[in-house]
Amino acid sequence: MQPPLSYERPDSVYDEVYGADGDIRQHWRYLLDGLGSMGTANLQERQRKAQRILRDDGATYNISGDPQGSRIWGLDPVPLLIDSEEWERIESGVIERAELFNLILKDLYGPRELIRHQILPAELIYSHNGFLRACQGLHVPGDQQLILHAVDMVRSDSGEMVVIGDRTQAPSGTGYALENRTVMSRVLPSLFRDSQVHRLSLFFQALRRKLTTLSPNGDTPNIVILTPGAYNETYFEHTYLANYLGYSVVQGGDLTVRNGYVWMKSLDGLHRVDVILRRVDDTWCDPVELRSDSHLGVPGLLEVARAGNVVIANPLGSGVLENPALHKYMPKIAEFFFGHELTLASATTWWLGDEQDRDHVLANLDGLIIKPTTRRTGQHSIYCPDLPPEKLDKLRAQLRDNPLHYIAQEPNLPGTSPSWHRDKLLARPTVLRSFAVADQSSYAVMPGGLTRVASDDSQRIVSNQLGATSKDTWVLASEPQRRVSLLDERAPELLAREQTSDLPSRVVENLFWMGRYSERAESAMRLLRTVFIQLNSIGPLPEAVRELLLKAVTQVTVTYPGFTGDNGQLLAQPDAELMSVILDHRRAGSVSANLQAMLNCTEETKEMLSADTHRVINDLRDELANLPNMLGNGLNAAPEEALDPLVTSLLALSGLTQESMIRGFGWRFLEMGRRLERTLQSTALLRALLVPVLEETAQEQVLETVMLSSEVLITYRRRYRSRPELTHGLTLIMLDRTNPRSLLYQVDLLRQHIDQLNATSSSQLLSEEYRCILEALTLLQLSRPNELARAQEDTHVRQALDDCLARIQSLLCNTASLIGDRYFDHRREPQQLVQTGWNEEL
Amino acid sequence: MIYRVRHLTRYEYDLPVSLCFNKAHLLPRDTPRQQCLSTQIRVTPTPVYSVRREDFYGNLYYYFSIQEPHKALQIDVTSQIRMLPPPQNFDLDLGNSCARVKELILHAADEETLLAKEFLLDSPMIRTSDALRDYAAPSFADDRPLLSAVRELTSRIFRDFKYDPGFSTVATPLNEVLEHKRGVCQDFAHLAIGCLRALGFPARYVSGYLETLPPPGKEKLVGSDESHAWFSVYSPGEGWFEFDPTNDNIPAEQHIVTALGRDYSDVTPLRGVFFDGGASQTLTVSVDVAAMPET
Repeated sequence: MQPPLSYERPDSVYDEVYGADGDIRQHWRYLLDGLGSMGTANLQERQRKAQRILRDDGATYNISGDPQGSRIWGLDPVPLLIDSEEWERIESGVIERAELFNLILKDLYGPRELIRHQILPAELIYSHNGFLRACQGLHVPGDQQLILHAVDMVRSDSGEMVVIGDRTQAPSGTGYALENRTVMSRVLPSLFRDSQVHRLSLFFQALRRKLTTLSPNGDTPNIVILTPGAYNETYFEHTYLANYLGYSVVQGGDLTVRNGYVWMKSLDGLHRVDVILRRVDDTWCDPVELRSDSHLGVPGLLEVARAGNVVIANPLGSGVLENPALHKYMPKIAEFFFGHELTLASATTWWLGDEQDRDHVLANLDGLIIKPTTRRTGQHSIYCPDLPPEKLDKLRAQLRDNPLHYIAQEPNLPGTSPSWHRDKLLARPTVLRSFAVADQSSYAVMPGGLTRVASDDSQRIVSNQLGATSKDTWVLASEPQRRVSLLDERAPELLAREQTSDLPSRVVENLFWMGRYSERAESAMRLLRTVFIQLNSIGPLPEAVRELLLKAVTQVTVTYPGFTGDNGQLLAQPDAELMSVILDHRRAGSVSANLQAMLNCTEETKEMLSADTHRVINDLRDELANLPNMLGNGLNAAPEEALDPLVTSLLALSGLTQESMIRGFGWRFLEMGRRLERTLQSTALLRALLVPVLEETAQEQVLETVMLSSEVLITYRRRYRSRPELTHGLTLIMLDRTNPRSLLYQVDLLRQHIDQLNATSSSQLLSEEYRCILEALTLLQLSRPNELARAQEDTHVRQALDDCLARIQSLLCNTASLIGDRYFDHRREPQQLVQTGWNEEL
Repeated sequence: MIYRVRHLTRYEYDLPVSLCFNKAHLLPRDTPRQQCLSTQIRVTPTPVYSVRREDFYGNLYYYFSIQEPHKALQIDVTSQIRMLPPPQNFDLDLGNSCARVKELILHAADEETLLAKEFLLDSPMIRTSDALRDYAAPSFADDRPLLSAVRELTSRIFRDFKYDPGFSTVATPLNEVLEHKRGVCQDFAHLAIGCLRALGFPARYVSGYLETLPPPGKEKLVGSDESHAWFSVYSPGEGWFEFDPTNDNIPAEQHIVTALGRDYSDVTPLRGVFFDGGASQTLTVSVDVAAMPET
């Protein structure tokens, strides 16, 4: 029997596990015993497993200001435990706070009694960027204006929970908390089961219930999650929540305002949106009335909300509640509305806009933390004890100039909890974010929450942007918990959803391009692999063949001038150019550029992809990042092998879409993208390699290359048992109905997809894109292999083959642009009537 | 006296606009010295959605959106406003001194003064600065009645600054106006407001119209009037007082108010966004203010 896990208890602050006497608190014993008997190596393995699951789920957190800054969500395998008695206090404190914030919100955009009665200084509200005058009088149906509220809490030295912050516009974290829970229940199943942990699903049921009742337009509302997009720091959570709750994820450009309502642009037209769960900060939501430079919003949205035709949760304007200067006034506000103080205290806060506070802060600056009253990206709290005197002076001047926009707090170290670091537990400052959602006449609190621990023991500011990691939060019940999941409740609606085309057209467009880019990358890699094999083959390669192959690389990847240019040197020394065609991600047409473009498309379609698909995409991303290493020795030794894992992953991806994707619009467009691109790639390859007439041996060698690259060489040998012969080869590559890589096969599939898409149309006439594809198909069906193979004697080209392929290329390109015009939204940015040069944010 | 104000705004675009959303602050509000009797709005093409609402400051605005393609947008607003006679015994040399006003604001307890504090703060287009304070300060001796000091500031701006429509745009920063001593009514109003706020007096922006009279013996030209802007300042217990630095006078019956706000950005006559429409557009505005016989 191993001893329970232990760690060094910090002397000066409250610790979750150890009491003042150094004893382990009762509710931690079971877990620490369990972890202890598991052993270090085992626990390390569980942590690795947790990270692997998170990665497979695509759980990331993007670091702002860094396009590559997406990192896997960090999860500590040791949860934070809260016993039921303590939880009751926290829960009722959070409810009380949410109720109070709701009253403040109603008041500030209503009668402003708090100002009239001098509970709040007028300047505190009127100077805050979150106070949006355009939102005066905005009303949400139901008892509460504030739908979601998140509270950040730490332990004071005496062990009291103290509030250090509120999130009231688009609180993030509920999805991460859910993901943490999902992962923990998988990596520590028995400890989790036996600890009698409160389930989170009731909270999400309450959220769904609330959002449904908010609908102004009837019973089965269309609810969407509005995201700023794939580069937002918490984008993972937006798609994760959307999938869990059964809502669509939309960006501002996916929505449009028409006839006084909000609509989602989908393939088959506009679908009305009734409720928006927004993850876009309020000032960015409508360029007509709020920040005019915003491209994240929906022009006209605020007026639709004002008219009551859409409900936005949280309502626009609720950012005013995130002003940390409100902490200072919480006791007075609670007294004013409730007649008593709050049970959950706020951190002691000084507001520089108050004369006495300002004097205190300026005199004691070196012992305080300074925070801006408005949260902005890249603007962090300033920890003054670390500042040299000249910086302190500068800060003092800044505070004097602009006092209304800053607060000060004491730099107390938050209480600690045990955090797993490599092979041991360490005490780390800990912040708990708790979530409340409006429920009937009050609020429901998530029994748990998002716990974050600092990455070292002296960090006073615990922030994901600063590298903190997270923990699951286990609220321990005194009795076993019944399992409740959202699934039962949402089953009928889910079914309905799959049958409709309730997808923003942006998502569908990205799936279409995902298909195209992955085919582009795949065919480029196939060709390159074959070229490498031929270049390094034992027998000497005739110069004409060598030149043709290299030129084909340029022609198929469209990386002109490349080998087709004037630089004869390139043909003699092809390695650098070939490496660039693979690795240069800035070069359009390169393998890396196509794969990167494909990965970008998967970001936009995250919610459509299964967990298995995410895993393959993660592999692809890793393999792509590793490609320069794999080719580190240049093209000397079997360079084709470096490309193998990527080709395999791409095939796995296409297999997954075939096997596990619902046959809806999304799947169809992904498939159409693939078919279209594969046809285009094959025609380019055939035109590059088989149109020129070569002498016999060379011709055979080239034909073999084409068949190898199109994966039909083995079939050919089995079927014809002869040396490569052009008529047979062309039949197999172009016209064989049983070869899934033949042109005819691809074009026919594409025709079927377009036919299916048009099936809903009432028109009796063939659509333009169907006409194009039908012509291409007929052209192939009517062509005769021996005519195609015939060489034009005077020009040394196969003119009939080239004409046929050129026509197919042009028809397919037309098909692609017709599909784009018909189904995709060509988003235009709106223009401002008046060029506002002024800064709308103070 | 009853005035009829017709304010015609016309945008012409290079290419058709497919969709637009607009917010127009073109409907005169009621104030203690005026009463808006009626307002007719005609927008072409016909909006698919339109509504009249009251904003945060009690101004009226008209929100509309158009979904049919159009190469020209026209907003034709005609209002009838009754101007009330100015209050009797209005004496600039009586009332709170500058020092007293600051004192009263600092210890404000009445609602009107508490709410007026909003107009002490920086706003999107007006940032106070030492330069503004230094420019204004000589007129604001502590023991001088506030209104007399503000009247002097109004005259100084009128004397020191040149009216120059070619100099500024709607977005010219205040420090440039101060530096070059040029601008239009909007700039002078902003300037005065910035000066007053820098000294600690609440001041707000007033948009509206001014009846202009033709030179003696000449016929008045149609559309020759303009929308206009001035400011008002607050004195606790006494209320808001308007001044016009562009014309060096105290607004009275010829000054018709449309809207009040922190600055121009709160009461922009017409703002909005549109889709398509090409790269450029032309704007024509014509305003007629006509006195009508009382019937």
